[in-house]
Amino acid sequence: MSTQANPRQDNAELKVLETEVLIIGGGLTGAGIMRDLSLRGIRCLLIDKHDLCAGASGGNHGLLHSGARYVANDLRAAVECRQESDILKQLAPQCIENTGALFVGVEDDDPGFGAQFPARCASAGIACEELSPAEARTMEPHLTEKIHTALLLPDATVDPFRLALENVAQAQLSSSSAYRPHTEVLSFRISHGTIDAAICRDNRTGDLLDIRAHQVVNAGGAWAMNIARIAGCSDVNLLYSKGTLLISHDRLTDRVIHRLRPPGDGDILVPGGTVSVLGTTSIRVDELDSIVPTVEEVNTNIREGSAMVPALVHARYIRAFSRVRPLLQPGAEASDREVTRGYALLDHRSQLTNFCTITGGKLTTYRLMAERASDLVAERLSNTVGCKTRELPMQDGEACRWTEPGASPKYWFQANNPDDSILCECEMVPQSAIDEIIKCAPSGGEEMTLEGIALRSRVGKGPCQGSFCGMRIASYLYDRGYYRDKTGLDHMRKFFNERFKGLRPIIWGRQMAQMELSEALHCGLLGLDQANNMDESAE
Amino acid sequence: MKQNTRHIDTDLTIIGSGLAGVAASSFALRRNIRTAQAGNTGALAYTTGYFDLLGSLTGGSGASISDPWEGIRRLRESEPLHPLARIAEDDIRASFEEFITFLAECGITYGKPGDRNLDALTPGGTLKKTLSVPATMQAGVDAFARKAQCIIIDFKGLKGFSSRQIVANLKTDWPQLRHERISFPEIDQAEIYPEVLARALEVPANRAKLAEVVKGLATDAEAIGMPAVFGIHAPDRVMADLQDRIGRPIFEIPTMPPSVPGIRLRELFEQVFPQKGLTLIPQQKVVSTDLQANTIQLDLKDNYGPIHISSRAVILATGRFISGGLEAHMERITEPLFGLPVTQPASRDLWYRHQYMDNLGHDVHRAGIEVDEQFRPLDRDGKVVHHGLFGAGILLAHQDWIRGRCGAGIAVATAYKAVQAALSVLQPAAA
Amino acid sequence: MSDTPIKKLNFKELASQLLPEGASFDSCLTCGLCSSGCPASGLENMDPRKFIRMAMLGMDEELSKTPWVWMCTQCKRCQHVCPMDIDIAQLVFAARSNWPKELKPSGIVRSCELTRSTSSTSAMGLPPEDFVFVVQDVLEEVRELQPQFKDMVAPMDKKGAFFFVNQNSREPMSEPDEMVPLWKIFNLVGADWTYSSKGWAAENFCMFSGDEEAWHQVIQQRVDAVNELGCRVWLNTECGHSYYTMWNAINRFGMEADFELANLVTYYARWIREGKLPVNADWNTAGLKFTVQDPCQIVRKAYGDEIAEDMRFVTKSLVGEENFIDMQPNRSANYCCGGGGGFLQAGMTDQRRIYGRRKFDQIAATGARYVLTPCHNCHSQMEDIGDHYGGGYHVVHFWTLICLSLGILGENERAYLGPELAALGL
Repeated sequence: MSTQANPRQDNAELKVLETEVLIIGGGLTGAGIMRDLSLRGIRCLLIDKHDLCAGASGGNHGLLHSGARYVANDLRAAVECRQESDILKQLAPQCIENTGALFVGVEDDDPGFGAQFPARCASAGIACEELSPAEARTMEPHLTEKIHTALLLPDATVDPFRLALENVAQAQLSSSSAYRPHTEVLSFRISHGTIDAAICRDNRTGDLLDIRAHQVVNAGGAWAMNIARIAGCSDVNLLYSKGTLLISHDRLTDRVIHRLRPPGDGDILVPGGTVSVLGTTSIRVDELDSIVPTVEEVNTNIREGSAMVPALVHARYIRAFSRVRPLLQPGAEASDREVTRGYALLDHRSQLTNFCTITGGKLTTYRLMAERASDLVAERLSNTVGCKTRELPMQDGEACRWTEPGASPKYWFQANNPDDSILCECEMVPQSAIDEIIKCAPSGGEEMTLEGIALRSRVGKGPCQGSFCGMRIASYLYDRGYYRDKTGLDHMRKFFNERFKGLRPIIWGRQMAQMELSEALHCGLLGLDQANNMDESAE
Repeated sequence: MKQNTRHIDTDLTIIGSGLAGVAASSFALRRNIRTAQAGNTGALAYTTGYFDLLGSLTGGSGASISDPWEGIRRLRESEPLHPLARIAEDDIRASFEEFITFLAECGITYGKPGDRNLDALTPGGTLKKTLSVPATMQAGVDAFARKAQCIIIDFKGLKGFSSRQIVANLKTDWPQLRHERISFPEIDQAEIYPEVLARALEVPANRAKLAEVVKGLATDAEAIGMPAVFGIHAPDRVMADLQDRIGRPIFEIPTMPPSVPGIRLRELFEQVFPQKGLTLIPQQKVVSTDLQANTIQLDLKDNYGPIHISSRAVILATGRFISGGLEAHMERITEPLFGLPVTQPASRDLWYRHQYMDNLGHDVHRAGIEVDEQFRPLDRDGKVVHHGLFGAGILLAHQDWIRGRCGAGIAVATAYKAVQAALSVLQPAAA
Repeated sequence: MSDTPIKKLNFKELASQLLPEGASFDSCLTCGLCSSGCPASGLENMDPRKFIRMAMLGMDEELSKTPWVWMCTQCKRCQHVCPMDIDIAQLVFAARSNWPKELKPSGIVRSCELTRSTSSTSAMGLPPEDFVFVVQDVLEEVRELQPQFKDMVAPMDKKGAFFFVNQNSREPMSEPDEMVPLWKIFNLVGADWTYSSKGWAAENFCMFSGDEEAWHQVIQQRVDAVNELGCRVWLNTECGHSYYTMWNAINRFGMEADFELANLVTYYARWIREGKLPVNADWNTAGLKFTVQDPCQIVRKAYGDEIAEDMRFVTKSLVGEENFIDMQPNRSANYCCGGGGGFLQAGMTDQRRIYGRRKFDQIAATGARYVLTPCHNCHSQMEDIGDHYGGGYHVVHFWTLICLSLGILGENERAYLGPELAALGL
């Protein structure tokens, strides 16, 4: 019998869904597992309580590690990164920009650290070229004059959203696998050491779901410990490390810039298409939800980052964001930057026969993690097809192409169709992109939120951070009859609220003018702050 | 060839061309003060055209209020430093009356401000409490009040304005409302701006064509709403003519920026002020200032070169962040032109609350400059900075113009007080 | 046209180099006021906001190649209405400069080449001797046929004259009688003026072609010509871009100019105020309605509203206060007609007329029968869109109306007047 209390079933009738493998967690690992298993002919259902890349997969600087950053303290991780980044560069080039990276020692950074670096890279098989400070500054004019050491390495950048979308899209094509956002696990129905079903809630509608699967994969990332505990497994032990990053309005450098010193705050600046991402602070936190970037973290990043790139002090920032990284509990005392960035695959076989957990790790090695977890699941299902993700190129999926910075205006410009109006003026996203994204919306029936559209495109990523386009897109969707009532206003309010979280700590300078205008529109004009409060309670 | 500095010698200079600046100019002209005005339009460019006095009491539930005058009486208790709380009700009424009279003389009629707020329509299909709306928007307020049989028409290619959206959000309260979409006659472009349509409707032949199309759709409607496009410089006339041709009441609903009402006001003032003898330096910002014993010296430049203004009195109405009246730096907020002290939260972390839509509003909006009862800016010691320097508009501290829905109220009423005070310096006998 | 590729510019970098801090592209609020107020919006699917955003998004290739830069007339209205004061026209100039000569609109390039082909600096290639001849020839004819003006002069190369008067080539080249009203005015007010056989021409399409060096050279020739004659004031006659190219270049290239630049409109107003031009509106018994077109090049882009006020003063003096109807918007906020920036010479007729639609509506809204403008490009464009869209209005020079009002407009000097004025006062 069930070891967990049944959820409230009140009036709601449980809708039953069946699949071979239920994957919990729509981060890159979950999406990668979905693709891997699907390519082996195994049908999956991927669920996430929010949407794709809502955790650390989306909340990072988008660096595809060459491995160099780990050579000083984790050679194994460094080698894995090198191998995996080579595979991804080859198989998923549409998600990657081969920027290269400069590691720079500045001012009083210990020259000894830099001196050992090339040899360590060599031992991990990572190409490392020493440059003179002058050469480095010619390549990246924004670098400080105070460089004493500069090394060129083959880091790259990756668009994690596109990568996740492509994984899911290909999985959906290869088998009848499906992805369902806004679906949260409440409990498991377990009998005789086997999970029979996951009882889930659709967070949009409140409907309860009874999802029956032969195998259940916990790919919850930072939430993996919580999910394992719902299943009664207490052998997943994670530490939570909150990191905060910020996005500048402009792309400041062509290459990734790392500080050549032991990892610390504000030591990495990563180009992200048309912007740059500065990171990362690191603090230990105890909880996972309501994680937001703070003013202090932003200031710290800018102060530290400006030692490498002085222009960071005067740059216009358009957003900050935070995420929690799951770190595997270390044996001994260690700082969060030193605890293993490795991943763990737990088969939980002492308690359950058809449940496993994969967590930890990093974006660069997501494919490898997915392969390992999929191997276990396939073995348990007696599937002998074997992993194909090492060789099979990532195909371009439908509606996956809109997350790439600067891509949608290119498509739009080429198409030269004046009737295809630009709805997001900052990032130049036309209505045809919105149409395509909606056509490929996950989970049938429910209307897509503005956040869901933004996740799958560049909508809201520019300087206005969605304040204009949120209104224009909502209008467009009302026009199409897609939004039909006041829930459309609710979508707007939620979208603006969500965008604000990332704006709050970086509102000064030019962004203050932008924000003042946004609030005047959203509250002063549309009254969204009063939308639930239109009565005369003050009378 | 030398570039000669042009010198302007005047009694009063108004810095800022937002609502407070233009209201101040109108009051100064009415009082025959020799006046110059410089500065850019700022947030006025984005206005709905609605004139709010006070639509909500901030610091509480954030709910809207129907009686702004009662609201102001309550402000005197709860927020005595609020600019509106520092001005007598009679003065506020007089300021609105005078400003609205001025606008009507210039071709944009507003409804006479009454005792209660109106429920005005927004492009989102929500309602906004406001004291006075342009005549071109009045029929919408009336139609909503009566829940009259009504049709909202929008135009193909006009982004961000969906009549279907308005109807979808108002239909529970207003079942007799329906929507239609038409192609605006004779416009070739796929993507169109309200400004372009408004310009087109200044031409009688274009009005005739639009009226023809609209007439056919609205056979049973008691009133017809459209996005705000009824002309730029003569909206009353454009509406009257269109209405005659259509044969039933019509009204405008504001659109999102770039919208017509702001352009209308900007062009109106750029038109009227020079005609009335004001020296206008349009869309150029004052860049430096010098306070002297009996005058204030101002420097700016336009495309043609440097301009120097020597003025006996100055009203600072430079607005907030959009127009540059205040500057937000990483560490603090400053007033860049005169270096006036800015009352503000202790740190950037306190500028904004954590929830965007928090009913309490954000404290950054309450930052601003301090003034005495004559609306003269104060220095750090609470002393008057200069006997001829006055401050007006949303630059003043202790108010949240966005959440309070009181931007126009503050602009017009404080401009009125500042001009009165300036007059008493310029013409002690008259005042 | 050959297959010469257009080099890719880095617009983001250009913006940060060319535009002042605080008013560069990264200050853009993306509000769209620029595009809303731009007559070129929609052409080639472009508008000013898209231009900025494409620059920020690194679409350098597309921006480098888009022919829209030849449809934007660089009128700077976008900057005028921008709350952040962002100057897009400068980047359009940079884009134009970057086009290989053989791909640039040939009409503009040819005009620039012709300008440099003689020391006249005439965009129609009229050599100095021909100009001298035409002036002499026309002058003799007037002296002969209009006895009132038997002593009229049109000095050439007169050293130390107060005014160095420039002349748009269109008149000596194709409608020489149109020079006469101007001479009559100078004569009447007793101006000490001269033409120059060198550097006399007004037009400068080298600026529009984006050829900075050629622009500089042409202006240098003109500056030298004025310096050589030792005139006090270079007086720009009714040609908008002529003034702007000269004024802007002298500052831009830091040239030595021992004289002042002035616009004829300023002097019209001054002479009327001083009573030297005793114009009135008595002739306008029919109450014909007039409006004025503010050329971007001398109003928004240069003098500002001051000269626009003068223009209105002159107009009202000429036609009667009650017969003047302003276009909306006007003065510094006025729309470019679409004749500027070389658009008229660029061979893009359809686009130019779409652009001009807004001007046409503006004129139509006034209901005016006549449009006055001190700019040849405005003049031609407004005539063309009037014909195209069926306007039924006439576009006239100020000099025509001044002489009409004074009763001294000759029979051959009425090419632009409508039938109702064709014989008035003859």
